[in-house]
Amino acid sequence: MNELFGAQLLDHLQSGIVLLNQETKICAWNQWMTRHTALDLEQVAEQPFAQLFPEIVTTRLQDCIHQALHFKLSSILTPGLNLAILPLYKNPKTPTQRLEQLIYITPVPRYMQMACLIQIHDMTATVRRERRLRAQSTSLIATTYRDALTGVGNRRRFDHDLMAFFTDARSKQQPLALLMIDIDDFKAYNDQLGHLQGDECLTQVATVLQEGLRQRGDSVARYGGEEFALLLPDADVDLAYSIAERLRTLIETANIPHPASRTKPHITISIGVSALIPAPHQTMKTLIEQADQALYQAKDAGRNRCLSYNPPQTDNRIKKTD
Amino acid sequence: MLEINELQGDALKELFNLGVGRAAHSLSMMVNDEVELSTPDILLVQASEVVTTLLGSEFSQLSMVTIDFIGPFNATAILLFPERNALSIVSHMLDPHMLPEELSEFEQEAMCEIGNIILNACMSSLADEFQIEFEGGLPVHYFSDTDSLPLFGNQHLLHEQVVLLLQIHLTMRQEQVQGHLLFLLSVSSLNALLDCVDRYLARLGIS
Repeated sequence: MNELFGAQLLDHLQSGIVLLNQETKICAWNQWMTRHTALDLEQVAEQPFAQLFPEIVTTRLQDCIHQALHFKLSSILTPGLNLAILPLYKNPKTPTQRLEQLIYITPVPRYMQMACLIQIHDMTATVRRERRLRAQSTSLIATTYRDALTGVGNRRRFDHDLMAFFTDARSKQQPLALLMIDIDDFKAYNDQLGHLQGDECLTQVATVLQEGLRQRGDSVARYGGEEFALLLPDADVDLAYSIAERLRTLIETANIPHPASRTKPHITISIGVSALIPAPHQTMKTLIEQADQALYQAKDAGRNRCLSYNPPQTDNRIKKTD
Repeated sequence: MLEINELQGDALKELFNLGVGRAAHSLSMMVNDEVELSTPDILLVQASEVVTTLLGSEFSQLSMVTIDFIGPFNATAILLFPERNALSIVSHMLDPHMLPEELSEFEQEAMCEIGNIILNACMSSLADEFQIEFEGGLPVHYFSDTDSLPLFGNQHLLHEQVVLLLQIHLTMRQEQVQGHLLFLLSVSSLNALLDCVDRYLARLGIS
């Protein structure tokens, strides 16, 4: 194959081909390169590559060329790790967005010297497709973690976060707190005002809770029915209790009418609070059981209140008085 | 019985650490964040033992980048991470918020480049210090389980090949990820490598 025919073949390739000699001067430059830079071989021949594209000096491309010419090493530069390195455009006359590039650099022996072959593939369409798919998958993932009615996190979100936070708390030996939040007399509310109004009420309560948490960046999740749960990483029982109390007050002052309530003429909530630094024998279940227990006690004590979990007393004073 | 003596082992460990140090520098520049790499241990094992002893016990799904090097000695250099660790590296590099499940072909390419940077840095560190030249090919990336590692599949070759095995620790955004660097060599290539090490040591006046 003669050199002319070889050059013609290169011009037909649907990727960019540049050949640099030992001094990094350009000695081959195919049509694809001309199409995407508006520079033809005559204009670039014998020019040092870094003089033509000064911006590559600060990129890995420069090192890779050096490695190819001096150490005969090959390299790959991917669009994920390298922002469009070379100023190549779909239409260089109106340069708007650079092509995303996948670049291969390989050493090639030429006239007893080492030359460096640079192959450039246009990855723009692939990268765009990738981004679109990523955006779609992100939004799908968000949907599967959101409660359809109230818009806050759903049970899946809660289970996922609990697992992650608990593992983290265990490895760092930091506290993790849980608030179990229940709307008081919600069954009576539904019975009197109907399920549609019940749904409306759940949404309002979820919104007030979530708004109240905005500053700390914590997220409430719907645990089931009229129960919500809130995980507070790195919060001890006192901090968790003060957050619980603030949420309880917010709901009370939201003043959502509840004519059938045994507690107040408006919606109120009861909150069970638990917090622990995971000990070896404790599991995620421990945290939930403790918050549940505190919630039942809050209900028993007359609702519209927060209670923290109290570990059972070991000295058993009641027995002594018997 | 093939072995590397303590001096040779120390020299190789130092040269590889020099190489991965340079690679860490390149990676840090790319992600605009500090990346640390070190290779604390070096071992010489029979190729046939690699799968059973090292890989089989530790993890089953692997991410592997390989490059063939040809020179005074020939080697297939392999950067190997448990798949989970590899995905964690790539997601840290590309987008810390990305879940490993979201990674695709696109990220495999990125892994290829990371392997390329580390392996080339190791081999050019050897080439520099030994004053020799290699020719290095393009990197290839595989996801594989231990049983079907393509490189260790050929039982005939295994008896004649040895593996220089290094642990590699990569630290990035306070997280440490462990993997291995493997250099698959024929016995004659190993001898050529050790000759280079001995000459290097002699030049430094140690031997």
